[in-house]
Amino acid sequence: MTAPRPILLAEDNPRDVELILAVMAEHNLANEIVVCRDGVEALDYLYRRGGFSARRQGNPAVVLLDLKMPKIDGLEVLRTIKADTGLKPIPVVMLTSSREERDLVQSYALGANAYVVKPVEFHSYFNALKALGIFWGGVNEPPPGLARATANGR
Amino acid sequence: MHWSIENRMVAGFGLVLAFVLVIGVVSYSNTKKLIANSLADAHSHGALQALEGTLSTAENAELGQRRYLITGEESYLSPYHTAVSRLPEQLRYLREMTAGNAAQQRRLDSLERLLTRSLEASKEAIVLRRDQGFEGVRHLIFARKVKQEIDEIRFLIEEMVNEESKALTRRAEESQASTRNTILLLAIGTLLQSVLLGSVYYLIRHDITQRKRVAEELRHRGEQLEAANKELEAFSYSVSHDLRAPLRHIDGYVGLLEKAAAPSLDEKSRRYLTMISESAKQMGQLIDDLLVFSRMGRAELRDTPVRLDQLVKEVQHELRHDTQGRNIAWTIGPLPRVYGDPAMLRLVLINLISNAVKFTRTRPLATIQIGVKSGRPGETVIFVRDNGVGFDMRYVEKLFGVFQRLHRAEEFDGTGIGLANVRRIIHRHGGRTWAEGAVDGGATFYFSLPTGTEQA
Repeated sequence: MTAPRPILLAEDNPRDVELILAVMAEHNLANEIVVCRDGVEALDYLYRRGGFSARRQGNPAVVLLDLKMPKIDGLEVLRTIKADTGLKPIPVVMLTSSREERDLVQSYALGANAYVVKPVEFHSYFNALKALGIFWGGVNEPPPGLARATANGR
Repeated sequence: MHWSIENRMVAGFGLVLAFVLVIGVVSYSNTKKLIANSLADAHSHGALQALEGTLSTAENAELGQRRYLITGEESYLSPYHTAVSRLPEQLRYLREMTAGNAAQQRRLDSLERLLTRSLEASKEAIVLRRDQGFEGVRHLIFARKVKQEIDEIRFLIEEMVNEESKALTRRAEESQASTRNTILLLAIGTLLQSVLLGSVYYLIRHDITQRKRVAEELRHRGEQLEAANKELEAFSYSVSHDLRAPLRHIDGYVGLLEKAAAPSLDEKSRRYLTMISESAKQMGQLIDDLLVFSRMGRAELRDTPVRLDQLVKEVQHELRHDTQGRNIAWTIGPLPRVYGDPAMLRLVLINLISNAVKFTRTRPLATIQIGVKSGRPGETVIFVRDNGVGFDMRYVEKLFGVFQRLHRAEEFDGTGIGLANVRRIIHRHGGRTWAEGAVDGGATFYFSLPTGTEQA
């Protein structure tokens, strides 16, 4: 059996990144976690360009996408992914502080697969992250034929 | 006294109308008089002509008759015959033309008598001349009597002519004066009307300018308000995103620290960590509540039928974790169907019922009543009553304020925003909220909804 495909985490806040990584490490997730600090980096990774031009082919198991990010925000990244036939099958989980209805509505309208509000409370937060990791990293069967992750044009 | 623009306009236009009426009435009566005068003038001219005609007819007849008496030549009698046939007609015409003038009519009576007498005398003389010849009438020819008669007729006719001429002059003066007055009245009236209409125009224009200014100001304020609303929305959006993150980090790192260092920490240090974590959670709750409160003020209201009895059942179910293991006697009366926003009205009931559940916690048997009460006309009043710890009526107005709490945090939990939300939601529905209670004597919370929307 090959190694599980990586999880792409697009999150600009270093503290959130640290907390998420800590939780994932604690639960011994087999998936590699790739961290992108803004929307541009996340798209670079998905299209294997820029600093990610040398990475192995293949789409990530899941994209955890923060809404508010510098340069290109989460909704824009989501729009790009869901508009690209090659990237469209990747499950995208919005991971955000916002409980605002319009964010929810817009995210689902653009094709998000899940929407998770980061809880303030430590245990809920950790449990949510753990569940996310386990479900999308392991339990969920990703779409087949995900080798074609390259920039086949938009 | 300050008059409104409408009253001033009505007064202005009323005055103008009154002037127009007065001028109309006076002009009408003057014109009528002028027409009457001109008719009377026509009569006078007719009378003058007829008088002249009558005089010459009479004189010619007398002259012709005298010539006949002297010469016996029948042809001289033709003026006499003319007079006999025409005088009655002329007199009748004169009578018509001087109708309404008693003095002239009296003179006309005398004139008629004189003329009749004169014609009769002439007739007699003519007959005498035919029968007896010149000698028979000789004494008549030179008699003064005939001359006197004709002079009398002339004199009478002259008097009548004078009278008519005087009447003509008098009427001409009268007409002139009346015309002058009419012109004067028209001039003054036009001037006054112009002034009045000018004032009314000025008033209306002033009013329109003012209204335009007010409308402009309102529009401007509306824009400002909209901008402020947008800003508020952006603000609460930013709060929702950015204020939560540090709190999450505090609690997250405290959690990590606890996991990493708990075994080596003493009891006191562990308690400190718990306090930090709880404070962060509490602030998170406050932020969430505030966001809900702010959303309640901005969100659009839906207006659909809401079955309150159904809603209460749902809320009871939702609160089952809080009521578990409690001894609560529910009395829920028949509840009406109202019109409003179901999600918001649900929040109202959740707040009121969860409060009732919360504040009866110290009672071995809690009683909670929900029902309808009669209110003012046009409104439906719903109440939620409990036998809980109640409150001091002195602080009743504080109950519905944001973050106002009447109990210490360790007695009863809560952020103090629930009733503020209730009031805001009910106000937005056009209703009222109020409460009654006594310390340790339970509390009753009321809210009203306009029944006007019930038929919507």
